[in-house]
Amino acid sequence: MTVHRPEPDRDSREWWERVARGEFTVQRCAGCGADRFPARAFCPACRSEEWEWRAVPPEGRVESWIVSHQPFVPGLATPYVVVLVRLAAVPDGLVHGNWRGGREPRGGERVHGVFRRVDADLTLVDWGPAG
Amino acid sequence: MTKRLLEFRNATAIAGVGYTPFTKNSGASTLTLACRAVLAALADAGLTADDVDGLATHRVGDSAPPTLVGPALGLTDLSWHLDQFGGGSVSHAVVGQAALAVATGMAETVVCYRAINARSEFRMGGTGRGLPVSPEVQYQAPYGYVAPPQQYAMYARAHMLRYGTTAEHFGTLAVTQRANAAKNPRALMRSPITLDDYLASRWIAEPFRLLDCCLETDGACAVVVTTAERARELRRPPVLISAAAWGGGQSHLSGGDPTVTAAAGLAPRLYAQAGLGPEDVDVAEIYDCFTYSVIVQLEDYGFCPKGEGGPYVASGATALDGPLPVNTHGGFLSEGYVHGVNHIAEAVSQLRGEAGDRQVPGAEVALSTAQPGYILPATSALILRRA
Repeated sequence: MTVHRPEPDRDSREWWERVARGEFTVQRCAGCGADRFPARAFCPACRSEEWEWRAVPPEGRVESWIVSHQPFVPGLATPYVVVLVRLAAVPDGLVHGNWRGGREPRGGERVHGVFRRVDADLTLVDWGPAG
Repeated sequence: MTKRLLEFRNATAIAGVGYTPFTKNSGASTLTLACRAVLAALADAGLTADDVDGLATHRVGDSAPPTLVGPALGLTDLSWHLDQFGGGSVSHAVVGQAALAVATGMAETVVCYRAINARSEFRMGGTGRGLPVSPEVQYQAPYGYVAPPQQYAMYARAHMLRYGTTAEHFGTLAVTQRANAAKNPRALMRSPITLDDYLASRWIAEPFRLLDCCLETDGACAVVVTTAERARELRRPPVLISAAAWGGGQSHLSGGDPTVTAAAGLAPRLYAQAGLGPEDVDVAEIYDCFTYSVIVQLEDYGFCPKGEGGPYVASGATALDGPLPVNTHGGFLSEGYVHGVNHIAEAVSQLRGEAGDRQVPGAEVALSTAQPGYILPATSALILRRA
């Protein structure tokens, strides 16, 4: 499967490294305790720059999804499903991934993350029905 | 509202509009297209390039900036210019900022333009160009989620799930706007379509079909901004800038409510600045990169309650003979895609009473809006009125 390789920035590099080790993390602010995703240096709630990684179960609910038919990415077989998941750990956090359900997602259904090892250097997180 | 902001109301005007033809292959550089549109807008206003002391554009690295267009037209001492990075979110902010420059006296005659070869050179649909520069792309692109139709389809589905919005609602907009385009000689797509044609069009990214998507277009469009006082002395009936607002901040890529846009925050500021409300708007030229973007903005600009944009459209409200004619030129869906500026130009035509077969009788107040804040978390809008 052809993929655009993610280009981590200096805030997110460790997040991707942890995904590659099979760990799904969010950031917990040391100032106010708020959890956040994606990776950023500053807490948008209290503006503290102090935080720590917090491993959480990759769980959430389906916010939306698309079935992509147009070949926007050369070499990527169509159709494929991209799902938008609202994280249980960070209710304001939305994460995208491919769908591994064998059927279309359902709005609001509970889902869990599935780590997909693309190659030695890249692991992605897909989503499928919980339980 | 501050006294100074009150003084901004109706202090500036749009005195001219200009276009190149809309095509699938212009055969010209964006610099050439920009020069043609700028000169056409000046001619419309009864001005020449020698009158220009300001130039402004928005672009995403795909077009000629004012620092090229100025010298190409022999303008070697501009007193103000703006090269705004951004897509459709900032189209109306560019005109707003030009109005600020004119209102403060920093410039007297500013031409705002957008020149784009969005079909033959730089397609927005993802193929043939690099990915946008945003740290959030890394969380999406690896999953094949790279193009605006996919992103907007995602938000459209969220709206469908939450509020029961349907394909027929989207389709009604596509059909209505095509009917408007049939009355617009400039429009790229003028053959009428039916709801069945819409439903039969091929999938792009479910829930979006081909006819949910705008036309990637080659072309340019420009408007001339000057003081209201000076505009009254020029060739055309002046169209006053009653309000210009821009702002935003909530990223939909990493949080928030996907069924609410930055327009919901901006609309009250915009209306207050104009001293008007949604009930005063006679015609609305609303950013329609996709059918859904119109539906969500009808809600966020207060024309109907949240969640009722679909039924509002299905009622015929946005048709040319409805209470709120929307995208009278056909919009991006059927006229062509010049990244917001052709919506402003159409509003001007309507307020001048020069829109021909698609004229909204007696139109005095127009709303025109930018991309409402998906993808780039910002938006902008103008309220224009007949002098």
